[in-house]
Amino acid sequence: MPMALSALVALALAVVPLPAVLDAFRPDFLVLVVFYWCIESPRAGGLSLAFFSGLALDVINGVVLGQHALALTLMGAWATNLRLRIRVFSMMSQCLVVFALLTGYQFVLFWVDGATGNPVTTFSRWLAPFIGALLWPVLLGVMGKVHER
Amino acid sequence: MVAFRSTDASGRVTGLLFRCVLYSLLALALIIIDKRYDHLGKIRRLLSVVAYPVQIAVASPFEGWHWFRDSVSTRDALRADKTKLEADLRVAQFRLQRYEALEAETQRLRALRENTAGVTDRFVIGDVMNVDLDAFRERVLVDKGASDGIYVGQAVLDSGGVFGQVARVGQLTSEVILISDAAHAIPVQINRNGLRTVAVGTGDTNRLKLPYLPTSADVVAGDLLVTSGLGGGFPAGYPVGSIAEVKRDPAQSLADVDVKPAAALDRSRELLFVWLKPQAEELPPPPKAAPVPKK
Repeated sequence: MPMALSALVALALAVVPLPAVLDAFRPDFLVLVVFYWCIESPRAGGLSLAFFSGLALDVINGVVLGQHALALTLMGAWATNLRLRIRVFSMMSQCLVVFALLTGYQFVLFWVDGATGNPVTTFSRWLAPFIGALLWPVLLGVMGKVHER
Repeated sequence: MVAFRSTDASGRVTGLLFRCVLYSLLALALIIIDKRYDHLGKIRRLLSVVAYPVQIAVASPFEGWHWFRDSVSTRDALRADKTKLEADLRVAQFRLQRYEALEAETQRLRALRENTAGVTDRFVIGDVMNVDLDAFRERVLVDKGASDGIYVGQAVLDSGGVFGQVARVGQLTSEVILISDAAHAIPVQINRNGLRTVAVGTGDTNRLKLPYLPTSADVVAGDLLVTSGLGGGFPAGYPVGSIAEVKRDPAQSLADVDVKPAAALDRSRELLFVWLKPQAEELPPPPKAAPVPKK
């Protein structure tokens, strides 16, 4: 239940209107939440959450159906695979791992964009992983509170 | 392989790799089907209905704030608004006086030339929803969809000029691609001399480009660009923008022309969806075939 709820809130945050200047800096909230669940409780179906969250992002963003789903599934699986190691990392190393995961996510999106013939080549799309990694400790704190209840 | 397997508390091995491959293949299949074939339109339409509550939930606080601000605005502000609107209306009516006559004249001339450029038939007003789509594409979500008769490729205007066209239709919402999107191009004509070309979006909301004009083309800053109506997607004669800057490099064969869009692409809240009058009505009936002699 907290899983679905947090995913919904993150989905809403993904479409909340921001000033055009800040829009490029919007971190991928939903992706961070999916990573959190993949690392914390993979048994509760982290990968299914990843796939369906990705599908929701596809529909809401109006891109090729399956694009975000593919990226989230792959990176969610990677996060699940690394989870035992990530849990004992220091916060700094955790952020670095999350940065790598988010960059991989962006790369899959980038690749599908290119393969389907509408590439977005602006540099600013690579800012989101950076911001997302910086937000990871905050998300851990908030989600920890939610999870305890 | 072993690295991808994880053991849960009860000692059961869960096939992470299996699920990962399954979902990835599913996603890849979706991408290919969506890109190559057009069978997913119905599914996407249904899914967009499911996404509608989220979009509404996100947009409603902003709508509520607008409503609140409107309902607590002071009498003075309303009076000032009213005065301004009355003045605007007077100007508009003044301009309209000759419009009917001019339109009739245009129709006559068109008939003479047998020009079949589309004329607008009817329109529907849609509100832009307070929802951000992909940050790197110039698109907006509008609260009119297939249930209002919106179709893909439909021309969208705002009070200033051409805004864009419908890129995707959901049951209750539709996605409009702005003329400034990097993947969008619109056939235009320079109003002063009738020179036809194509205006291409740049991905920057306040700039279009005319990439196909030769260096010697008769175009100067300030020229008004209107839709040419060629291609049939857009009605003819609506303002697209004005030439902002013309850079001519004698070493290049093409001029570098920047256009400032006429529509308020980043601010408009109300959009006009336009239906073109079916061209068949305007064409004279085809000449009757000569009667076949009976044998």
